[in-house]
Amino acid sequence: MEGFIQFFREIRWQDVVDIGLNSYILFRFYILFRRTNVFKILIGVALLWVLQQAAGYLGLIVTSWVVQAITTIAALIIVVVFRNEIRSVLQAKNIRSILWGVSFKQPQTPVQAIVESAFDLAKRRIGAIIVVQGKESLSEAVQQGIPCNAFITREMITSIFWPDNPVHDGAVIIEGDRIAEVGVVLPLSLRQDLPSYYGTRHRAAIGIAEMTDALVVVVSEERGTILAIRGNQIQRVLRPEELTDILNAHTGIEGQQDAAETKKARLEVAAAALVSFAVITGAWFSITKGLETLTTLDIPIEYMNRNPAMEIIETSVSAIRIQLSGSDTLIRSVRQDQVRVRIDLDGAVVGKNSYTITTENISLPPGLFIKSFQPDVVEVTLDTPDRKEIPIQADWTGKLPENLRIESVRIEPARIPIVGGGRILSKIQTVYTEKIPLDTILSSRMLTVNLALSPASLKVGPGYREKVLVEITVKPREIRKEGTGQPASSQ
Amino acid sequence: MKEITSRWNKVVGWAGVLIVWLVLSGTALADPPGAVVTPSKLQLVTAVMCEDIVNRLPYNEAVVFSITGGKVSCFTLFDPVLERTAVYHNWYYRDNLSTKIKLLINPPKWGTYSSIQLREADKGPWRVEVTDSDGNVLQTIRFSITD
Repeated sequence: MEGFIQFFREIRWQDVVDIGLNSYILFRFYILFRRTNVFKILIGVALLWVLQQAAGYLGLIVTSWVVQAITTIAALIIVVVFRNEIRSVLQAKNIRSILWGVSFKQPQTPVQAIVESAFDLAKRRIGAIIVVQGKESLSEAVQQGIPCNAFITREMITSIFWPDNPVHDGAVIIEGDRIAEVGVVLPLSLRQDLPSYYGTRHRAAIGIAEMTDALVVVVSEERGTILAIRGNQIQRVLRPEELTDILNAHTGIEGQQDAAETKKARLEVAAAALVSFAVITGAWFSITKGLETLTTLDIPIEYMNRNPAMEIIETSVSAIRIQLSGSDTLIRSVRQDQVRVRIDLDGAVVGKNSYTITTENISLPPGLFIKSFQPDVVEVTLDTPDRKEIPIQADWTGKLPENLRIESVRIEPARIPIVGGGRILSKIQTVYTEKIPLDTILSSRMLTVNLALSPASLKVGPGYREKVLVEITVKPREIRKEGTGQPASSQ
Repeated sequence: MKEITSRWNKVVGWAGVLIVWLVLSGTALADPPGAVVTPSKLQLVTAVMCEDIVNRLPYNEAVVFSITGGKVSCFTLFDPVLERTAVYHNWYYRDNLSTKIKLLINPPKWGTYSSIQLREADKGPWRVEVTDSDGNVLQTIRFSITD
C-alpha cells in the first residue's frame, strides 16, 4: 500500500498533462477517421504489432521478423494508398471540428429531393447516376470527381444531369445532406449475366455497388426507367414511395433516428475515449517507468554569449562525459544531440577562464536523470583576433651527405600574414615549415613545403596558401686538412 | 638572464674581435669630391653563418649545420665603421633568446664573429639577429642544426 502511494507521489503534473494530451490526440484521430478505410487499416497495423510482440515473446524468429517488416512499411503504405481519403477527411473538416466536438447524429439525407429528382429526370428521359454513400468511404473506388459540397435540392440534381452541363455524364456522390462530388467516373462491372440493353451507365452503377456498400440510383436515358442497385441486388423502381423506402432503409433514417441509436453512438465514443486513455497510459508507463538503465555519453560543450571581439583559442576539454539514468526505452532512444552542455561566456576575459560545470549547464530530454559527469571544471582561453606578418624559416631533419653543404635557402614568400589570437601572435616571431628531410638532397633544387602552424588555432591570412616554395642552393663542402687553417682570431 | 649567462659559457670566441681589414679604400679616394655620399651610420655589408673562421674569413658558409661539427659561427663585416662602437649577436633557438654576445668594432672597417658550441639539445631552427648598440636589428640570419 505504501509503495502504491509512493508511486503516485512520484507522478508529476507534467506526467498527467502528458498522458491527457496524448490520449486526447489519439481519441481525436479515432473521431476523424472512425468511418474510413484508414481506420480499419490502422486497427490491422495495431493487431500486427501485437502479433509481433507475441511472436517475439514466444521466440518465433521468422514470424517476428516478417511481421516487424510488414508493420514498418505499413505506415508508408497507409499514407500512399489512402492519401486521397486522408486528404478528404481533413479538407472536409474545419479546425474546430478537427480539434473539438463529436457528432452523434449522421446528417440526414433529404430523401424526398432525391426521389423527386430521379422521377423528374426519368420523365424527361435524362440519364443519371446518383450514388448515396453508405458507411464505407468511396474515395478509393471512384476517380476524377469534382468537389461540389452543395446542398441537395431537386433543382440542383436536375441541373447537374441536364444534357448541356459539362459534368452531366458522370455520377454524383451524396454524403449525408450534401452533394460531395459531381462528374465522378465509376468502375465498370465485369459481370457477364447482365441484360444486353444495359449500357455503360448501368455497368458503372453496378460496378460501384459491387465494390462498396453504396446505394446507386440509375435513371435510364433510353427507357426512362429507374433502378436502385445495392451490392449485387438490382431493383426496378416504379413508384416514388418505393424509392423513398429504399433510400430511407439505406440511410438508416426510417422516418427518424431513434434515441437508442444516439445512445449507442455515445457509448461508442465513450469507449473510444477510455481505450485511448488506456493505450496512452500503458505506453507512458512502459516508456517512463521501465527498468532503470544507465548510459554514458560524451557531449560536446556549447559556448554562449561570447564577446564577438574575442575568440576561443583553447579549451581544457572539448566534451563532458555524462552518465545518464532512465527507463530502458528512453535510454535506448536518447540521441547525443538531445543532451546539451552549455557554458555562458558572458563576462569572460582575455586569457584563461575557469568554469565549474553544474547540472544547470546540462539540459536533458524529459524522463532522464544525471548520475554523474566529468570533468566538473572547464578552462577556456579567450583571445582577441589579430593579424601579423611573420617571416618563414625552413626546418630541417636528417643529415646532409658529408661532402655537401646548403649554402643558401630562399623561401617564397619570405613572409606570410598569420591570423589568430593576439596573445599567441605576440609570442611568435617565426613560422616554420614542416620538416624537410636532408638525406635526399644531393643537388640544388626547389621544393614545395607545407607550413607547420602551431598552435592549430593559427591560420594563414586570406588569399595565402599554407604551402611555400623553398629554393635550395647546394655547394660542395670544403674539407679542411688537419693542421691547416686556424680560426681567424679569438679573444 | 640566468639562461643567457649559462649559454654564455658555451660561447667560443665570443670576444669578438678580430680581424680588421683596415684598408683604406683606394676606390673611395678615387671618387671625385662631392660625388660620394658619405654613410651617416654603421653599415653591415656581410652577415653569414659558417662552420668556422679560417684566415679571418668564413669557412664553409651554410644554413644547415650538422651537430657533429661541434660549433657554428656567425661572421659579420661592417663597412664603414664611423666610430668605435659595440654591436650584438643575439642567438635565438626557436624564438627564444639563447645568448647575446657583445662585440666591439672600430673604424674604418671591421669584421667580427661569434660562435656557439653545439649540444644534442640544440638541434632545430635557429636565428641570429645582428643589432647595433641601440638594439636596432641590422640583419637576421636563419639556420638550422641537424643530425
